[in-house]
Amino acid sequence: MSASNQRSVVIVMIEDDEGHARLIEKNVRRAGVNNEIRHFADGTSALSYLKSPEVRENGPMLILLDLNLPDMTGIDILTILKGDDRLRRAPVIVLTTTDDKVEIQRCYDLGCNVYITKPVDYDTFATAIRQLGLFLSVMQVPDA
Amino acid sequence: MIGPLSAAKSARNEILLLILGFAVLVVVGASSVWIAGRNAVFNAQLAQTSELKSHILLTLSVAQNAETGQRGFLLTNDEGYLTPYETALAAWEPRIRRLAELVGPTGPQHDRASALAAALKIKMDELAETVALQRAGKFSEAHAVVETDRGRDAMLEVRRIVTEMRAYEDDQFAKRSGDAAWGAKLQLAVVIIGLLVAAALAYGAQVIVRRQTRTLKAAQDELSRANAGLEAAVAERTSELTTANDEIQRFAYIVSHDLRAPLVNVMGFTSELDAARRVLKDQIDALIEASPGSVGEEARLAVDEDLPEAIGFIRASTTKMDRLINAILKLSREGRRVVTPESVSIRDVAEQIAATLHQQTQSADAEIVVEPGTPPLVTDRFSIEQIFQNLIENAVKYLDRSRPGRIVVRGRRVGAQVEYMIEDNGRGIDAKDHERVFELFRRAGAQDQPGEGLGLAFVRASVRRLGGVITLTSNPGQGSTFHLTFPAVFRVQSESRAA
Repeated sequence: MSASNQRSVVIVMIEDDEGHARLIEKNVRRAGVNNEIRHFADGTSALSYLKSPEVRENGPMLILLDLNLPDMTGIDILTILKGDDRLRRAPVIVLTTTDDKVEIQRCYDLGCNVYITKPVDYDTFATAIRQLGLFLSVMQVPDA
Repeated sequence: MIGPLSAAKSARNEILLLILGFAVLVVVGASSVWIAGRNAVFNAQLAQTSELKSHILLTLSVAQNAETGQRGFLLTNDEGYLTPYETALAAWEPRIRRLAELVGPTGPQHDRASALAAALKIKMDELAETVALQRAGKFSEAHAVVETDRGRDAMLEVRRIVTEMRAYEDDQFAKRSGDAAWGAKLQLAVVIIGLLVAAALAYGAQVIVRRQTRTLKAAQDELSRANAGLEAAVAERTSELTTANDEIQRFAYIVSHDLRAPLVNVMGFTSELDAARRVLKDQIDALIEASPGSVGEEARLAVDEDLPEAIGFIRASTTKMDRLINAILKLSREGRRVVTPESVSIRDVAEQIAATLHQQTQSADAEIVVEPGTPPLVTDRFSIEQIFQNLIENAVKYLDRSRPGRIVVRGRRVGAQVEYMIEDNGRGIDAKDHERVFELFRRAGAQDQPGEGLGLAFVRASVRRLGGVITLTSNPGQGSTFHLTFPAVFRVQSESRAA
């Protein structure tokens, strides 16, 4: 986050796999997205960060969410986020390995904005993340 | 409860009772017949006795009539008084003969009848003598004959014998009446005893039948209890199996899923490694170009050959692993799919599949025949289509190229089940591989066709989910037949499916 632009969007990445997190970050950066990325490896720390007053006052943000977390499922986090007055406007992009139709439906029902299945093939994966980066660079995020 | 031994015993008892009942009936019937016979004899004897008695009296009256006529004639010398004598004279001999007939050839009555005949002869002779003297006018001589008391004695003899004979007959009659009465009493007793025995037998039979009904009922209750227990046991087992099955499905799903996440890293960072290598290679190439000899041969080889080779193997392996994981995922996903039974025309399904495979069959000089009698099935359309698709595709894939291919799909109804056969004249499957071909990732025969060893594993899992069985018969080099057996109507088990 540049000090000059207080309104710069923070990307909150909740992803338990360090490797995935690194690969996602690399490819998002390659797409030319330079926003701050805050990475959390479990649901509890992510939620405590998101619920802190610091975040509530700190500009807009966008959440990248993995469904398979060690302490809770992404669905739980999604439910909490969408039930929060302040946080529910933050776009949520579910980025996970699960491609189960039922899961996808549930996420959209709960208010997820984009659902992306992580491709196992790395080229496809990289392409998908880069396209997501491009998407992030043009999308409008509501102000806090 | 009742055992086979006691059941046999009670059956023996019943038969014994039945036999006893019949025996009693036979005894009562035989005694009745015997008594009736005795009665008939008695009646005949009664009739004979009456006739005999009246004959004895008639014989006596013949003698008396003759004497009466003789007395009147002797007293009055009037021939008119002789009429009874004349009648008796004509009648006495036939009477005696008849009497002899009635008393029979032997016995005391016969002796008496002979004595009677003798006495009567003496009397009649004396009468005839006196009548003849009277007629000749020799009255005093006639009187003298009378006075000899010869006639009187004979007459007394006749009376005595008649009285004796009558008394004897009366005696006989009384005796026979007594016999008859005794016989009647005997019959009454036999009938009463028979009835009592029959009643006792009937009661016994009823007791046995009641007891048997009770044991039968008890056995039936026991059986229904056992059945209920069996059903409960089956339900319990089924739910255990369902739970175990669900657990396996979940396990397969979770494992395959969780294996995927590290695989993404392996593949991702392999690509990153490759990208880094390319950067290094460019750098080294530039260095070599700028000042040859500044880079060692080993370093160049490592970047140019060793690294690409290693990366290539890692990629090939991860790609294969990814395919395998996807296969497991597909299987477990199919296992979690909700089955919705509907009526499916297997003939149409097979013909549609044959149409989509037209290109392949034509190039392989093969034909797919769907027999018109192939019966329909109530089952899950999607699953059954996939099963037939896999099996028919396999048949086309593994045809023997040295001869024209022929694949026949047929079926028939067997009771509550339907049996389908997919028969080919392809290369066949060795007997030792009949089980193996259905296993995941396993294949058989020459590996000259692409494939992962998934098709038949998938088919068997699907067939089982539809409540069916799949088996295989094959002669290597001549062809294979896959036999599918399904319930004609698939019923969804009322199990709780884990989401």
